Amino acid sequence: MKLITAILKPFKLDEVKDALQAAGITGMTVSEASGFGRQKGHTEVYRGAEYTVDLVPKVRLEVLVDDADAAAIVDVIVKAAGTGSIGDGKVWTTPVDQVVRVRTGERGTDAI
Amino acid sequence: MGTRERRLRSNESDLLLSELFQASGADSQEVAIAAVGSFGRGELSPGSDLDIVIIHTGSYSPVELSEIVNAILYPLWDKKIKIDHSVRTRSEVRTALYEDLKVAMGLLDIRLICGNPDLVADVQSMALSLWRDRSSHYLPLLRESLEERYQRNGELAYLLEPDLKESRGGLRDITALRAIHSSGALVLPMERVSQAESLLSTVREALHIASGRDKDRLLFTEQDKVAELLKYSDADALMSDVAQSARAVDYLMQMTWYQYQHKGKDGLGRFLKRVRSTSISPGISIANREVVIDNNFDIDSDPVIGLRAAATAAQLGLRLSFDSLRIYADALDTGRGALTNPWPREAREHLIALIGAGPAMVEIFEALDQEEILFHWIPEWRGVRSLPQRNVLHRHTVDRHMVETAVSAAALTREVHRPDLLLFTALFHDIGKGTEEDHSLRGEILIAPLAARIGFNERDIVTIQKLIRHHLLLSATATRRDLDDPATISSVIESISDVGTLELLHALSIADGEATGRAAWSDWKASLVNELVRKSKLALTDNTVMQQPELREDQLSRAALGTLDVTIEDRGNVYAVEIISPDKTGLLSIVSGVLNVLRLDVRSARTKTIDGVAVMEWLVLPDPNAPVLTREELHRELVKGLAGEEKLAQRIQDRIEAYIQMPTIPFPAPIVETFLDAATDATIIEVRSHDRPALLFSIGDTVRKCNIDIKSAIVTTLGAEAIDTLYVTEIGGGALATERAIEVASRIEASLK
Repeated sequence: MKLITAILKPFKLDEVKDALQAAGITGMTVSEASGFGRQKGHTEVYRGAEYTVDLVPKVRLEVLVDDADAAAIVDVIVKAAGTGSIGDGKVWTTPVDQVVRVRTGERGTDAI
Repeated sequence: MGTRERRLRSNESDLLLSELFQASGADSQEVAIAAVGSFGRGELSPGSDLDIVIIHTGSYSPVELSEIVNAILYPLWDKKIKIDHSVRTRSEVRTALYEDLKVAMGLLDIRLICGNPDLVADVQSMALSLWRDRSSHYLPLLRESLEERYQRNGELAYLLEPDLKESRGGLRDITALRAIHSSGALVLPMERVSQAESLLSTVREALHIASGRDKDRLLFTEQDKVAELLKYSDADALMSDVAQSARAVDYLMQMTWYQYQHKGKDGLGRFLKRVRSTSISPGISIANREVVIDNNFDIDSDPVIGLRAAATAAQLGLRLSFDSLRIYADALDTGRGALTNPWPREAREHLIALIGAGPAMVEIFEALDQEEILFHWIPEWRGVRSLPQRNVLHRHTVDRHMVETAVSAAALTREVHRPDLLLFTALFHDIGKGTEEDHSLRGEILIAPLAARIGFNERDIVTIQKLIRHHLLLSATATRRDLDDPATISSVIESISDVGTLELLHALSIADGEATGRAAWSDWKASLVNELVRKSKLALTDNTVMQQPELREDQLSRAALGTLDVTIEDRGNVYAVEIISPDKTGLLSIVSGVLNVLRLDVRSARTKTIDGVAVMEWLVLPDPNAPVLTREELHRELVKGLAGEEKLAQRIQDRIEAYIQMPTIPFPAPIVETFLDAATDATIIEVRSHDRPALLFSIGDTVRKCNIDIKSAIVTTLGAEAIDTLYVTEIGGGALATERAIEVASRIEASLK
């Protein structure tokens, strides 16, 4: 099993969600996140004073998938999240040892 | 379901206990069974415990007594009847009364079921007299226990899944109110919560029946079933009634504690042997830390008094007197004291000052709602009163959410140039809720006649409508659209095309989000909205600074005479004053100081100096105790002031010192900003501050001490907030250097702290 984590531009969330649902993914975790990559934040001018905003608002999306599906799902996310401009985000996968559905106690891929 | 059924249930339990008592072989002279708590009041819901006290004379041995008690209780336990019992002699009861608040309160409702009536009567009389004699010990403990319970169980009126008994405003609060009333410390109008008690008891009974359990938490999943059982159209209607009842209970509770805490204190919070009443304006005084409308005041002669009293109380952080509210409400109900349509400017200003008081306005607004005074002023409010929002995003009913939004907005008044429009729209932004229609569009339509009645001009009404229609625009766009896409910014400025409205919408979005709660607003979301606003502002070209006034031909020709000229126009409750005077250093502070000592409150001013002569237009509101203003008197005072004969500064200082002794509320710190006006080679100083006596005098005096010239001034007071814009130059002409402008701004800011 794999945990796919994606950092996205907030306005892309709906499109990514729709694309994942179309690909058969029904469950996901979404949280608010802030950070920066190569775009390094930006500079703001407020009331005449200039200051740097280091952290850019992003959305963090997490999906658990079977090993066999991971590459295809990553492609789905990358395709839906891309705008071609800087700050589009990142997607990565992490191996997962075990998953348990709390309600039923199911384990492994049955719990996904 | 209802009182009758609960009484029948109680009677059946009485009968069962009497039979068991008889079968136990207890001597009816030595033992008695009494009901306490809700059972004592004869009010049993299906899931209620049987709260009983077995009182005995002490003549039985412990073994004999144990046999009797077991003979009564075991059959009940076998029948799975929940019972909460205690077995005590009279002296044991007395000890428990001293030690345990719950026992002391429970025994206030004691009722004989069977056995020796004298034993129960004796305990009843002992419980009541101890409760009365030791009220100063019990009541603070009771208050503490209520606060702890509120922390655990939240507010019945606003929770998605409230506890009908334990939540704030619930059935346990009604029992507490009854206990406070029994103590004799205060006389409470218990009839005000009788309807609420009946409704909450019936809903609790229906919940026990619908769920088949004895739990009092009205879970989301049970609400539809309970609504159906009680023949409500839907769960929203049920929850609205529950919320309304809880608010009635909580209102009486809060009023009760306030009166208990401040009984015998004066306006400054000092304890007095005799209540001292301090008159603060005609018809309005402070006594017992409450703002009171004088009993003999003729409200037809001044229909604004209700709003004036409410705004005064809110701005001083005090409450409105319970008695005054009721007398005023009765007068309004009989058709007296109605406001004109549109409202006079003074009424609108008081409404804005009330809304702008921040947290202090919540209790005042709730009191105006509970006494139904609010609906005489704003009938539209009834459509959203206690309207539930049964979703996880919102914490409050629609009406309370709007009040909370206004509280958040009050902290943002320095961020905008029209705090009055921000506060007004914050209070009414969700007025369109309650139907299937889009509430923003419906609100846009509903707000127009309301804003017109309150006295806003057509241009302001257009802005208010725009703000209400688009109050979700910034949050929705910031989270769902690409902020780097120029089309996103274009879509915002297509709807909001000027900086002033954009900054209002930004503040409204923040206030709305904060009032909604953490589920809807976070630093993350705020940063996205900030970014959207920043980019949109860059795309707009106008600015928010007030422009210098233009002079009329007649003013120019009178100014050419170069002598002091005064005209006064009485506009009902305000005076329009025009003063033409040879310019001199400190003129603005001298004139505003003279107006202040004549007890004239500056609401707005526009001044411009041309060829050494200043033309000043003032709109001033006479203090309620001020004598009638005449042209001659004002002329005379100005001559003295300009000649330096009057000790203006001292007289004004006396007034400021009298004012600062009054109670106050926290408000945002003043902001002083400076800009360069290239067109006129002047420096613009913009001061945004909470209004207070002689504010303009203080600003003008500081400017004078900085040795700079005021070329023009535009002064605006909106409710309790003031925005003063000064165009200044060095004495010899020309804008101030950057460092000098910063120094002047910081001196003005320091003078206002």
